[in-house]
Amino acid sequence: MAAPHSAPDPADSIQRSLRVLGWLLVLLSPAYAWAVITAPIDRVQGVMQKILYVHPPLAYGAYLGFVVTAVAGGLFLWRQQAVHDQLAIAGAEVGTLFCTLMLITGPIWARGAWGPGNWWVWDPRLTLTLLLWFVYLAYLLLRSFTEGDERAARLASIYGILGVALIPLNYWIIDLAGGRAQHPENIEQGSLGAGMGMPFLVGNLTLFFAFAYLLVLRWRVGLLQNALAEAEAEADRGPQRAA
Amino acid sequence: MNAAWALLWKDLVTEWRSRDRLVAMVVFSFLVVVVFQFAWPPMEAGEMTRFAPGVLWVTYLFAAVIGLGRTFALELENDAMTALALAPGTRGWLFLGKAGATWVLITAVQAMTAFVFALFFRVDLMTGVVGFATLVAVANVGICSIGTLLSAMSVRSRFREVLLPVLLIPTLIPILTSAVVGTTATLAGEGLPFAALQPLIVIDGVYLILSFLLFDFVLDE
Repeated sequence: MAAPHSAPDPADSIQRSLRVLGWLLVLLSPAYAWAVITAPIDRVQGVMQKILYVHPPLAYGAYLGFVVTAVAGGLFLWRQQAVHDQLAIAGAEVGTLFCTLMLITGPIWARGAWGPGNWWVWDPRLTLTLLLWFVYLAYLLLRSFTEGDERAARLASIYGILGVALIPLNYWIIDLAGGRAQHPENIEQGSLGAGMGMPFLVGNLTLFFAFAYLLVLRWRVGLLQNALAEAEAEADRGPQRAA
Repeated sequence: MNAAWALLWKDLVTEWRSRDRLVAMVVFSFLVVVVFQFAWPPMEAGEMTRFAPGVLWVTYLFAAVIGLGRTFALELENDAMTALALAPGTRGWLFLGKAGATWVLITAVQAMTAFVFALFFRVDLMTGVVGFATLVAVANVGICSIGTLLSAMSVRSRFREVLLPVLLIPTLIPILTSAVVGTTATLAGEGLPFAALQPLIVIDGVYLILSFLLFDFVLDE
Protein backbone atom coordinates (compact mmCIF):
# COMPACT_ATOMS: atom_id res chain seq x y z
CA MET A 1 0.00 0.00 0.00
CA ALA A 2 2.80 2.39 0.93
CA ALA A 3 4.91 3.80 -1.86
CA PRO A 4 8.29 2.06 -2.21
CA HIS A 5 11.15 4.07 -0.70
CA SER A 6 14.25 4.76 -2.70
CA ALA A 7 16.30 5.49 0.42
CA PRO A 8 16.44 3.17 3.49
CA ASP A 9 13.61 3.91 5.90
CA PRO A 10 14.85 6.04 8.84
CA ALA A 11 12.30 4.27 11.05
CA ASP A 12 14.38 1.07 10.72
CA SER A 13 17.58 2.68 12.00
CA ILE A 14 15.67 4.39 14.82
CA GLN A 15 14.19 1.01 15.78
CA ARG A 16 17.64 -0.59 15.73
CA SER A 17 19.26 2.12 17.86
CA LEU A 18 16.39 1.86 20.35
CA ARG A 19 17.10 -1.85 20.74
CA VAL A 20 20.85 -1.27 21.25
CA LEU A 21 20.27 1.52 23.77
CA GLY A 22 17.68 -0.59 25.59
CA TRP A 23 20.12 -3.49 25.99
CA LEU A 24 22.87 -1.16 27.17
CA LEU A 25 20.51 0.17 29.83
CA VAL A 26 19.50 -3.33 30.93
CA LEU A 27 23.18 -4.24 31.33
CA LEU A 28 24.31 -0.97 32.97
CA SER A 29 21.48 -0.37 35.44
CA PRO A 30 22.36 -3.17 37.90
CA ALA A 31 26.03 -2.14 37.71
CA TYR A 32 25.03 1.45 38.45
CA ALA A 33 22.88 0.45 41.43
CA TRP A 34 25.65 -1.82 42.75
CA ALA A 35 28.31 0.91 42.33
CA VAL A 36 26.22 3.49 44.18
CA ILE A 37 25.33 1.09 47.03
CA THR A 38 28.92 -0.05 47.57
CA ALA A 39 30.48 3.42 47.13
CA PRO A 40 32.16 4.69 50.33
CA ILE A 41 30.04 6.90 52.59
CA ASP A 42 31.31 10.47 52.78
CA ARG A 43 32.86 11.33 56.15
CA VAL A 44 31.33 14.82 56.32
CA GLN A 45 28.08 14.66 54.36
CA GLY A 46 27.12 11.06 55.07
CA VAL A 47 24.88 9.08 52.74
CA MET A 48 23.44 12.30 51.26
CA GLN A 49 26.64 12.73 49.25
CA LYS A 50 25.51 9.84 47.04
CA ILE A 51 23.17 12.23 45.23
CA LEU A 52 26.39 13.20 43.44
CA TYR A 53 26.02 10.01 41.38
CA VAL A 54 22.62 11.19 40.11
CA HIS A 55 22.60 14.99 40.11
CA PRO A 56 25.44 16.00 37.71
CA PRO A 57 24.56 13.35 35.08
CA LEU A 58 21.00 14.75 35.10
CA ALA A 59 22.46 18.20 34.48
CA TYR A 60 24.41 17.00 31.45
CA GLY A 61 21.24 15.43 30.09
CA ALA A 62 19.29 18.64 30.59
CA TYR A 63 21.81 20.77 28.71
CA LEU A 64 22.22 18.14 26.00
CA GLY A 65 18.45 18.03 25.48
CA PHE A 66 18.31 21.77 24.98
CA VAL A 67 21.21 21.73 22.53
CA VAL A 68 19.43 18.96 20.58
CA THR A 69 16.30 21.14 20.49
CA ALA A 70 18.17 24.15 19.13
CA VAL A 71 20.13 22.20 16.51
CA ALA A 72 17.05 20.29 15.36
CA GLY A 73 15.08 23.57 15.31
CA GLY A 74 17.76 25.16 13.13
CA LEU A 75 17.64 22.15 10.78
CA PHE A 76 13.86 22.44 10.62
CA LEU A 77 14.00 26.13 9.66
CA TRP A 78 16.56 25.28 7.00
CA ARG A 79 15.08 22.07 5.53
CA GLN A 80 11.39 22.23 6.58
CA GLN A 81 11.27 18.52 7.37
CA ALA A 82 8.97 17.18 10.08
CA VAL A 83 11.59 14.63 11.14
CA HIS A 84 13.77 17.46 12.52
CA ASP A 85 10.85 19.07 14.30
CA GLN A 86 10.01 15.78 15.99
CA LEU A 87 13.63 15.53 17.18
CA ALA A 88 13.36 19.09 18.58
CA ILE A 89 10.23 18.13 20.55
CA ALA A 90 11.97 15.03 21.88
CA GLY A 91 14.99 17.10 22.97
CA ALA A 92 12.82 19.66 24.75
CA GLU A 93 10.63 17.12 26.54
CA VAL A 94 13.43 14.82 27.69
CA GLY A 95 15.60 17.86 28.53
CA THR A 96 12.80 19.34 30.64
CA LEU A 97 12.38 15.99 32.43
CA PHE A 98 16.11 15.82 33.25
CA CYS A 99 16.16 19.49 34.25
CA THR A 100 13.19 18.98 36.59
CA LEU A 101 14.80 15.95 38.23
CA MET A 102 18.04 17.91 38.61
CA LEU A 103 16.17 20.79 40.25
CA ILE A 104 14.55 18.30 42.64
CA THR A 105 17.70 16.36 43.57
CA GLY A 106 19.78 19.54 44.16
CA PRO A 107 17.63 20.92 47.01
CA ILE A 108 17.35 17.46 48.59
CA TRP A 109 21.14 17.37 48.81
CA ALA A 110 21.23 20.98 50.11
CA ARG A 111 18.68 20.21 52.82
CA GLY A 112 20.63 17.12 53.85
CA ALA A 113 24.02 18.84 53.83
CA TRP A 114 23.13 22.18 55.38
CA GLY A 115 20.26 21.27 57.68
CA PRO A 116 16.56 22.17 57.89
CA GLY A 117 15.32 25.13 55.86
CA ASN A 118 18.29 25.17 53.49
CA TRP A 119 16.50 23.94 50.39
CA TRP A 120 17.59 26.69 48.09
CA VAL A 121 20.42 29.18 47.58
CA TRP A 122 20.76 31.70 44.75
CA ASP A 123 23.93 30.10 43.51
CA PRO A 124 24.90 31.21 39.95
CA ARG A 125 24.51 27.82 38.34
CA LEU A 126 21.28 27.11 40.20
CA THR A 127 19.83 30.42 39.08
CA LEU A 128 20.88 29.78 35.51
CA THR A 129 19.33 26.32 35.49
CA LEU A 130 16.09 27.61 36.95
CA LEU A 131 15.92 30.23 34.19
CA LEU A 132 16.60 27.58 31.60
CA TRP A 133 13.83 25.44 33.04
CA PHE A 134 11.42 28.38 32.63
CA VAL A 135 12.60 28.91 29.05
CA TYR A 136 11.78 25.32 28.16
CA LEU A 137 8.44 25.35 29.94
CA ALA A 138 7.70 28.41 27.80
CA TYR A 139 8.85 26.43 24.75
CA LEU A 140 6.39 23.64 25.54
CA LEU A 141 3.59 26.15 26.20
CA LEU A 142 4.33 27.90 22.90
CA ARG A 143 3.94 24.57 21.11
CA SER A 144 0.62 23.78 22.73
CA PHE A 145 -0.87 27.28 22.37
CA THR A 146 0.08 27.83 18.74
CA GLU A 147 -2.48 26.68 16.21
CA GLY A 148 -1.39 24.77 13.12
CA ASP A 149 1.35 22.13 13.12
CA GLU A 150 3.59 23.89 10.64
CA ARG A 151 3.37 27.23 12.43
CA ALA A 152 3.93 25.65 15.85
CA ALA A 153 7.02 23.87 14.54
CA ARG A 154 8.39 27.05 12.96
CA LEU A 155 7.84 29.29 16.00
CA ALA A 156 9.07 26.66 18.45
CA SER A 157 12.26 26.28 16.40
CA ILE A 158 12.89 30.01 16.75
CA TYR A 159 12.36 29.91 20.50
CA GLY A 160 14.55 26.83 20.88
CA ILE A 161 17.43 28.66 19.18
CA LEU A 162 16.88 31.73 21.39
CA GLY A 163 16.84 29.51 24.49
CA VAL A 164 20.25 28.05 23.78
CA ALA A 165 21.65 31.52 22.99
CA LEU A 166 20.51 32.52 26.47
CA ILE A 167 22.68 29.88 28.21
CA PRO A 168 26.13 31.49 27.66
CA LEU A 169 24.62 34.98 27.97
CA ASN A 170 23.06 34.27 31.38
CA TYR A 171 26.14 32.40 32.54
CA TRP A 172 28.24 35.46 31.83
CA ILE A 173 25.81 37.98 33.35
CA ILE A 174 25.35 35.99 36.55
CA ASP A 175 29.12 35.59 36.77
CA LEU A 176 29.56 39.36 36.38
CA ALA A 177 26.95 40.05 39.05
CA GLY A 178 28.87 37.77 41.40
CA GLY A 179 27.33 35.34 43.83
CA ARG A 180 28.24 32.43 46.02
CA ALA A 181 29.29 29.41 44.04
CA GLN A 182 28.13 26.11 45.50
CA HIS A 183 29.22 24.11 42.47
CA PRO A 184 32.78 23.11 41.66
CA GLU A 185 34.31 24.67 38.55
CA ASN A 186 34.47 22.42 35.51
CA ILE A 187 38.22 22.72 35.27
CA GLU A 188 38.72 21.61 38.88
CA GLN A 189 39.89 18.01 38.71
CA GLY A 190 40.33 15.34 41.35
CA SER A 191 37.70 16.71 43.75
CA LEU A 192 36.22 13.22 44.19
CA GLY A 193 37.31 11.10 47.15
CA ALA A 194 38.84 7.62 46.83
CA GLY A 195 36.42 5.01 45.50
CA MET A 196 33.93 7.61 44.28
CA GLY A 197 35.28 7.98 40.74
CA MET A 198 33.96 4.64 39.44
CA PRO A 199 30.33 5.03 40.59
CA PHE A 200 30.38 8.60 39.25
CA LEU A 201 31.56 7.36 35.85
CA VAL A 202 29.04 4.50 35.75
CA GLY A 203 26.29 6.94 36.79
CA ASN A 204 27.20 9.30 33.98
CA LEU A 205 27.24 6.50 31.41
CA THR A 206 23.94 4.96 32.54
CA LEU A 207 22.05 8.22 32.69
CA PHE A 208 23.52 9.29 29.34
CA PHE A 209 22.18 6.11 27.75
CA ALA A 210 18.86 6.62 29.56
CA PHE A 211 18.74 10.12 28.06
CA ALA A 212 19.53 8.82 24.58
CA TYR A 213 16.98 6.01 24.92
CA LEU A 214 14.17 8.37 25.98
CA LEU A 215 15.13 10.88 23.29
CA VAL A 216 15.02 8.32 20.49
CA LEU A 217 11.85 6.75 21.91
CA ARG A 218 10.07 10.12 22.00
CA TRP A 219 11.35 10.88 18.49
CA ARG A 220 9.94 7.59 17.22
CA VAL A 221 6.57 8.22 18.89
CA GLY A 222 6.40 11.64 17.21
CA LEU A 223 7.24 10.20 13.80
CA LEU A 224 4.64 7.43 14.24
CA GLN A 225 2.02 10.05 15.21
CA ASN A 226 2.87 11.98 12.03
CA ALA A 227 2.63 8.82 9.93
CA LEU A 228 -0.73 7.97 11.50
CA ALA A 229 -2.09 11.47 10.85
CA GLU A 230 -0.94 11.22 7.23
CA ALA A 231 -2.50 7.79 6.79
CA GLU A 232 -5.80 9.02 8.22
CA ALA A 233 -5.77 12.05 5.94
CA GLU A 234 -5.07 9.72 3.01
CA ALA A 235 -7.94 7.44 4.05
CA ASP A 236 -10.27 10.44 4.21
CA ARG A 237 -9.28 11.52 0.73
CA GLY A 238 -9.81 7.99 -0.66
CA PRO A 239 -13.65 7.85 -0.65
CA GLN A 240 -13.84 11.40 -2.05
CA ARG A 241 -11.71 10.40 -5.00
CA ALA A 242 -13.86 7.32 -5.62
CA ALA A 243 -17.02 9.47 -5.54
CA MET B 1 15.49 49.79 4.61
CA ASN B 2 12.67 52.01 3.33
CA ALA B 3 10.20 49.48 4.68
CA ALA B 4 11.65 49.99 8.17
CA TRP B 5 11.21 53.77 8.04
CA ALA B 6 7.72 53.49 6.55
CA LEU B 7 6.57 51.07 9.22
CA LEU B 8 8.16 53.07 12.02
CA TRP B 9 6.46 56.25 10.82
CA LYS B 10 3.13 54.48 10.30
CA ASP B 11 3.19 53.01 13.81
CA LEU B 12 4.11 56.31 15.44
CA VAL B 13 1.44 58.26 13.56
CA THR B 14 -1.21 55.65 14.38
CA GLU B 15 -0.16 55.74 18.01
CA TRP B 16 -0.18 59.54 18.08
CA ARG B 17 -3.71 59.66 16.66
CA SER B 18 -5.22 57.12 19.04
CA ARG B 19 -2.76 57.26 21.99
CA ASP B 20 -4.29 53.95 23.13
CA ARG B 21 -1.11 52.12 23.97
CA LEU B 22 0.57 55.20 25.41
CA VAL B 23 -2.23 55.99 27.86
CA ALA B 24 -2.69 52.36 28.87
CA MET B 25 1.02 51.87 29.54
CA VAL B 26 1.39 55.12 31.48
CA VAL B 27 -1.60 54.42 33.73
CA PHE B 28 -0.42 50.87 34.26
CA SER B 29 3.12 52.01 35.17
CA PHE B 30 1.84 54.58 37.66
CA LEU B 31 -0.33 51.91 39.25
CA VAL B 32 2.53 49.45 39.62
CA VAL B 33 4.74 52.12 41.26
CA VAL B 34 1.92 52.92 43.69
CA VAL B 35 1.03 49.28 44.38
CA PHE B 36 4.50 48.66 45.79
CA GLN B 37 3.87 51.34 48.42
CA PHE B 38 1.06 49.24 49.88
CA ALA B 39 2.95 45.99 49.68
CA TRP B 40 5.77 46.43 52.17
CA PRO B 41 6.12 47.12 55.87
CA PRO B 42 6.77 50.72 57.00
CA MET B 43 10.40 51.68 56.49
CA GLU B 44 12.76 54.63 56.52
CA ALA B 45 13.25 56.73 53.40
CA GLY B 46 16.89 55.63 53.20
CA GLU B 47 15.90 51.98 53.30
CA MET B 48 13.42 52.58 50.51
CA THR B 49 16.09 53.81 48.09
CA ARG B 50 17.77 50.42 48.35
CA PHE B 51 14.70 48.78 46.81
CA ALA B 52 13.96 51.63 44.42
CA PRO B 53 16.05 50.51 41.39
CA GLY B 54 14.53 47.04 41.49
CA VAL B 55 10.99 48.36 41.80
CA LEU B 56 11.56 50.81 38.95
CA TRP B 57 12.85 48.14 36.58
CA VAL B 58 10.15 45.64 37.44
CA THR B 59 7.65 48.40 36.61
CA TYR B 60 9.47 49.15 33.34
CA LEU B 61 9.53 45.53 32.29
CA PHE B 62 5.86 44.90 33.08
CA ALA B 63 4.83 48.05 31.22
CA ALA B 64 6.99 46.97 28.27
CA VAL B 65 5.28 43.56 28.23
CA ILE B 66 1.88 45.30 28.12
CA GLY B 67 2.97 47.56 25.26
CA LEU B 68 4.66 44.78 23.31
CA GLY B 69 1.52 42.68 23.52
CA ARG B 70 -0.21 45.23 21.31
CA THR B 71 2.63 45.64 18.78
CA PHE B 72 1.11 43.30 16.22
CA ALA B 73 -2.46 43.20 17.50
CA LEU B 74 -3.41 46.11 15.26
CA GLU B 75 -2.02 44.33 12.20
CA LEU B 76 -4.41 41.43 12.74
CA GLU B 77 -7.35 43.65 11.78
CA ASN B 78 -8.13 43.58 8.07
CA ASP B 79 -5.42 40.92 7.87
CA ALA B 80 -2.65 43.50 7.58
CA MET B 81 -0.23 40.77 8.76
CA THR B 82 -0.58 39.10 5.38
CA ALA B 83 0.11 42.40 3.65
CA LEU B 84 3.25 42.78 5.77
CA ALA B 85 4.34 39.27 4.88
CA LEU B 86 3.86 40.09 1.17
CA ALA B 87 6.03 43.21 1.34
CA PRO B 88 9.10 42.84 -0.89
CA GLY B 89 12.59 42.74 0.55
CA THR B 90 14.08 41.27 3.71
CA ARG B 91 11.55 40.90 6.50
CA GLY B 92 14.20 41.91 9.01
CA TRP B 93 13.55 45.53 8.01
CA LEU B 94 9.89 45.15 8.98
CA PHE B 95 11.10 43.92 12.34
CA LEU B 96 13.41 46.93 12.71
CA GLY B 97 10.58 49.38 11.91
CA LYS B 98 8.27 47.77 14.45
CA ALA B 99 10.99 47.55 17.11
CA GLY B 100 11.99 51.17 16.50
CA ALA B 101 8.45 52.47 16.97
CA THR B 102 8.08 50.40 20.14
CA TRP B 103 11.41 51.76 21.40
CA VAL B 104 10.14 55.35 21.05
CA LEU B 105 6.87 54.50 22.77
CA ILE B 106 8.39 52.56 25.67
CA THR B 107 11.07 55.18 26.27
CA ALA B 108 8.44 57.93 26.44
CA VAL B 109 6.39 55.93 28.95
CA GLN B 110 9.49 55.22 31.04
CA ALA B 111 10.43 58.92 31.13
CA MET B 112 6.97 59.80 32.46
CA THR B 113 7.07 56.94 34.98
CA ALA B 114 10.46 58.12 36.24
CA PHE B 115 8.95 61.41 37.44
CA VAL B 116 6.18 59.71 39.39
CA PHE B 117 8.68 57.21 40.75
CA ALA B 118 11.05 60.00 41.90
CA LEU B 119 8.14 61.69 43.63
CA PHE B 120 6.89 58.64 45.53
CA PHE B 121 10.28 57.14 46.35
CA ARG B 122 11.86 60.50 47.23
CA VAL B 123 14.70 59.79 44.83
CA ASP B 124 16.69 62.59 43.25
CA LEU B 125 16.80 61.50 39.63
CA MET B 126 18.67 64.63 38.56
CA THR B 127 21.92 63.52 40.22
CA GLY B 128 22.73 60.94 37.57
CA VAL B 129 20.24 61.82 34.87
CA VAL B 130 22.63 61.44 31.90
CA GLY B 131 23.89 58.06 33.05
CA PHE B 132 20.38 56.87 33.86
CA ALA B 133 18.98 58.03 30.50
CA THR B 134 21.83 56.29 28.65
CA LEU B 135 21.19 53.10 30.60
CA VAL B 136 17.45 53.15 29.84
CA ALA B 137 18.03 53.90 26.15
CA VAL B 138 20.52 51.04 25.80
CA ALA B 139 18.45 48.55 27.81
CA ASN B 140 15.37 49.37 25.71
CA VAL B 141 17.13 48.26 22.51
CA GLY B 142 17.38 44.74 23.91
CA ILE B 143 13.86 44.75 25.35
CA CYS B 144 12.32 45.99 22.09
CA SER B 145 14.23 43.64 19.79
CA ILE B 146 13.48 40.39 21.61
CA GLY B 147 10.02 41.71 22.57
CA THR B 148 9.03 42.53 18.98
CA LEU B 149 10.12 39.09 17.78
CA LEU B 150 8.23 37.28 20.55
CA SER B 151 5.20 39.55 20.14
CA ALA B 152 4.96 38.60 16.47
CA MET B 153 5.30 34.94 17.45
CA SER B 154 2.59 34.97 20.08
CA VAL B 155 0.03 37.25 18.42
CA ARG B 156 -1.77 34.48 16.57
CA SER B 157 -1.78 31.95 19.39
CA ARG B 158 -4.45 31.09 21.90
CA PHE B 159 -3.97 32.83 25.27
CA ARG B 160 -1.60 35.33 23.68
CA GLU B 161 -1.96 37.64 26.72
CA VAL B 162 -0.39 34.93 28.89
CA LEU B 163 1.94 33.44 26.34
CA LEU B 164 3.88 36.64 25.61
CA PRO B 165 4.96 37.28 29.24
CA VAL B 166 5.82 33.61 29.71
CA LEU B 167 8.02 33.67 26.59
CA LEU B 168 9.43 37.13 27.17
CA ILE B 169 10.24 37.45 30.88
CA PRO B 170 12.93 34.72 31.02
CA THR B 171 14.74 36.45 28.15
CA LEU B 172 14.57 39.82 29.95
CA ILE B 173 16.22 38.60 33.19
CA PRO B 174 19.80 39.34 32.01
CA ILE B 175 18.71 42.88 31.03
CA LEU B 176 16.97 43.36 34.39
CA THR B 177 20.06 42.24 36.34
CA SER B 178 22.41 44.68 34.61
CA ALA B 179 19.92 47.55 34.52
CA VAL B 180 19.32 47.35 38.29
CA VAL B 181 23.08 47.32 38.98
CA GLY B 182 23.52 50.39 36.74
CA THR B 183 20.53 52.27 38.18
CA THR B 184 21.71 51.68 41.76
CA ALA B 185 25.03 53.31 40.85
CA THR B 186 23.53 56.28 38.97
CA LEU B 187 20.99 56.99 41.74
CA ALA B 188 23.86 57.04 44.24
CA GLY B 189 25.56 59.66 42.05
CA GLU B 190 28.45 57.38 41.12
CA GLY B 191 28.03 57.66 37.36
CA LEU B 192 27.17 54.82 34.99
CA PRO B 193 29.50 51.85 35.63
CA PHE B 194 30.93 50.10 32.58
CA ALA B 195 30.29 46.77 34.32
CA ALA B 196 26.54 47.44 33.88
CA LEU B 197 26.69 48.98 30.40
CA GLN B 198 28.93 46.33 28.82
CA PRO B 199 26.55 43.36 29.33
CA LEU B 200 23.62 45.46 28.10
CA ILE B 201 25.47 46.30 24.88
CA VAL B 202 26.36 42.64 24.35
CA ILE B 203 22.76 41.53 25.00
CA ASP B 204 21.49 44.25 22.62
CA GLY B 205 23.82 42.96 19.91
CA VAL B 206 22.84 39.32 20.40
CA TYR B 207 19.09 40.00 20.56
CA LEU B 208 19.11 42.47 17.67
CA ILE B 209 21.01 40.18 15.30
CA LEU B 210 19.08 37.03 16.28
CA SER B 211 15.69 38.78 16.02
CA PHE B 212 16.57 40.43 12.69
CA LEU B 213 17.53 37.06 11.20
CA LEU B 214 14.81 34.92 12.82
CA PHE B 215 11.99 37.35 12.03
CA ASP B 216 12.14 36.03 8.47
CA PHE B 217 10.52 32.80 9.72
CA VAL B 218 7.87 34.36 11.95
CA LEU B 219 5.31 35.66 9.46
CA ASP B 220 3.12 33.08 7.72
CA GLU B 221 3.71 32.58 4.01
